Amino acid sequence: MPISGVVLTCAPGLSDSVVGELASFDGVEVHGVLPDGQIVAVVEADSVDAEVSLVTRMHEIAGVATVRLAYHNFEDLEQ
Amino acid sequence: MDVSRRDFIKASAAAAAFAAVGGKSLNPLKPGAAEAAEGGVTWGKAPCRFCGTGCGVLVGVRDGKVVAIKGDPQAPVNKGLNCVKGYFLSKVLNGKDRLTTPLIRKDGKLTPASWDEAMTLIASKFKESIAKYGPDSVAIYGSGQWTIFEGYAASKLFKGGIGTNNIEVNARLCMASAVTGFMTTFASDEPMGCYDDLDLGDTYFLWGANMAECHPILFSRLLTNRLNNPEVKIIDFATRRTRTSLMADRYIKFKPQTDLALLNAIAYVIIRDGLHDEAFIKEHVVFKKGKENIGYGLEDKFKFADEPKGITFEEYRDSLKAYTPEKVAALSGVPAETIVEMAHLYADKKRKVTTLWTMGFNQHTRGTWVNNLAYNVHLLTGKICRPGENPMSLTGQPSACGTTREVGTFTHRLPADMVVANPEHREKTAKIWGIDPKKIPAKPTYNATEMFRALDRGDIKVIWSQVTNPFQSLPNLNRYRKGARKGEGRFVIVSDMYPTRSTEQADVVLPSASWVEKEGMFGNAERRTHQWFKMVDAPGEAKDDLWQTMELARRLGHGSLFPYQHPQREIWEEYRKFGEGQGKDLAPYDAYVESRGLRWPVVNGQETRYRYVEGYDPYVKAGEGVKFYKNKPDHYRAVIWARPYEPAPEQPDQHYPFWLCTGRVLEHWHTGTMTGRVPELKRAYPEAVCEMHPDDAKKLGIKQGDQVRVSSRRGSIQLAADLNGRGKAEHGNVFVAFFDENKLINELCLDAYCPISGEPDYKKCAVKVEKAR
Repeated sequence: MPISGVVLTCAPGLSDSVVGELASFDGVEVHGVLPDGQIVAVVEADSVDAEVSLVTRMHEIAGVATVRLAYHNFEDLEQ
Repeated sequence: MDVSRRDFIKASAAAAAFAAVGGKSLNPLKPGAAEAAEGGVTWGKAPCRFCGTGCGVLVGVRDGKVVAIKGDPQAPVNKGLNCVKGYFLSKVLNGKDRLTTPLIRKDGKLTPASWDEAMTLIASKFKESIAKYGPDSVAIYGSGQWTIFEGYAASKLFKGGIGTNNIEVNARLCMASAVTGFMTTFASDEPMGCYDDLDLGDTYFLWGANMAECHPILFSRLLTNRLNNPEVKIIDFATRRTRTSLMADRYIKFKPQTDLALLNAIAYVIIRDGLHDEAFIKEHVVFKKGKENIGYGLEDKFKFADEPKGITFEEYRDSLKAYTPEKVAALSGVPAETIVEMAHLYADKKRKVTTLWTMGFNQHTRGTWVNNLAYNVHLLTGKICRPGENPMSLTGQPSACGTTREVGTFTHRLPADMVVANPEHREKTAKIWGIDPKKIPAKPTYNATEMFRALDRGDIKVIWSQVTNPFQSLPNLNRYRKGARKGEGRFVIVSDMYPTRSTEQADVVLPSASWVEKEGMFGNAERRTHQWFKMVDAPGEAKDDLWQTMELARRLGHGSLFPYQHPQREIWEEYRKFGEGQGKDLAPYDAYVESRGLRWPVVNGQETRYRYVEGYDPYVKAGEGVKFYKNKPDHYRAVIWARPYEPAPEQPDQHYPFWLCTGRVLEHWHTGTMTGRVPELKRAYPEAVCEMHPDDAKKLGIKQGDQVRVSSRRGSIQLAADLNGRGKAEHGNVFVAFFDENKLINELCLDAYCPISGEPDYKKCAVKVEKAR
């Protein structure tokens, strides 16, 4: 199952509401919010397609400026 | 995957993310567990395959397959984080319809063939055409996705072996205006600053650049800077409201083409209000003007040569009188007080100003001029060559700079900013290549648009396209698609990873290796050169373009140009002789193997962050301060150009009342030949839409999602209207992305280009929009 670690940058003051929204995303775990408001999350899904779908939805959350990818493992997928 | 391994990987994913943003993981892996999490994966470094940012990635390989990707924490560009395209890096190598064998068109159908059969046919077509019609009847068209080696080999074969300047690249469609802007102002291509400016400045002017979608990692650096420094301001000058506008402190909309007038108005106010830096100007600047009413390159075989004339500061100042804020407000739609405010912001002595632009400036029938005008403002205020204070054109392809600009894979260029028209440059090139200088023709032939016009006319018979998709990406596409299939001896070869709208035009298709399936080097937009090794095998019989070009050379009797045992390393060592001592110095190959890229000039093992300035640039001696040392004819000064506003060649009228602008979206890269292979991306942004303003739509009875027909004088396509999407068109404008191979928007575009740079304008032509029936 592909797993990735991502960092979300938010507009000032909106990190908390973004974290709230992320709680409703199946397959996304928030691992922490940094003092500057950046959010670290782990994404887990059945396929890379589903993973990217989650990231695309993250982009659409009000206040999310960027979603960046730190680590992506998809070792057990048929390629 | 068992549970514990999944936990390890999740912890690794979180740890990598925390590390990249300087935080601590809540649940760090213990040393032994970290090793287990690796699970036999070996890691190699490479620059990302996509845009010109040049992010570093670590590629995890197990059993000959790419199984993981990490942002490279040691990479200075992206510091451990990639944009969403990082998810597709391995997927783009593994699309189901990957080309794995050469194909030859037989009875109208592309049919599998052996490499020997394909190369024999290609070589015979080249020989026949050269014998019958001369060397200028054959051509190669490459791209800013060529590795440095591939571009170098193509240039050497065509200019030095076959003896034609028929080599061009899609970079002509992308940043040729940036090149001529740099060359005319500083006599040296590429920026004086670097990405460090994104962290070190406090005032950022973006012009025609949707950085949030097209350069997300660089935009993140800007946003991080602003998070740490509340003084930071981001000003978005644009013709369309984008995700970048949303995050900017100010969005300033202007009418298409009026950027020329706005920058002149800003310069006017700076001088009128005495905000210019007199000492800097006196010491480092000369003033010039060139020809005006210079045309648009619409007719075949268009030729233009500028005639620069020196002028005084006073003459320059007087030329700006046509650009008072009031006059320009009427033209551009930007209020006069905003123009004055922006001029004062540019000139504020307490502020460190960086200007960033992309295709809005470069794809412009006055692209060279608008680049010059951006430099003018920095030169007037002396805000240049210092950390955080520089003008910079961002690029769209991973090696538009490293390969096309630095190796010089354009009809008129040679490596290290040299040109074929200069006999000394031909002499130097011939010496390094070990050939007779007479072999390299002194006259450039065709820019990219003219090259495909020549194919249409039949002046070019045989053309080879590598790593690019011209039959989707050229403007006024209908003409060039039809031209390629006219027969009468025309022969089209396309090398690619996937079937594209260009392979369908081809007589022979060659399957290419990509990215970490080969050894390569790319150069990014901040003069940083990256190296990587081959990590996995290409599928089937796919081979890299370097091999393909050298194989043609061998079959044409030019094999002696490529006498290499280890081609990549030896080409590099040969190539870097061009830049030595020229301010373009490159390091030995191993320095790039070891590093996460180095910014040239690299002298005595040290890279250069800031050019032309004492303390950073080894070419500027102590006591010289700033020295534009490449511009010897102007006594080492930069040039402020008087460049007027001139209208676009085609403007909206009663028949075609809208401006059409084309561009990219986050999910898809360029013509979508790679990102279109990722099913989820196809679903996220399945097809191009027509962004338009709700007021304009209402007048035409168009509702969200309605099918509309967009037509210009050259073509017509049907697509869905988007009135409230991520990008928002302004009144009188529509926007369509160009990635969609089923909606060829470039059929509508005008093939007008900047007479100086030869770069077409994809941002402005006139269209009408009707509700489809």
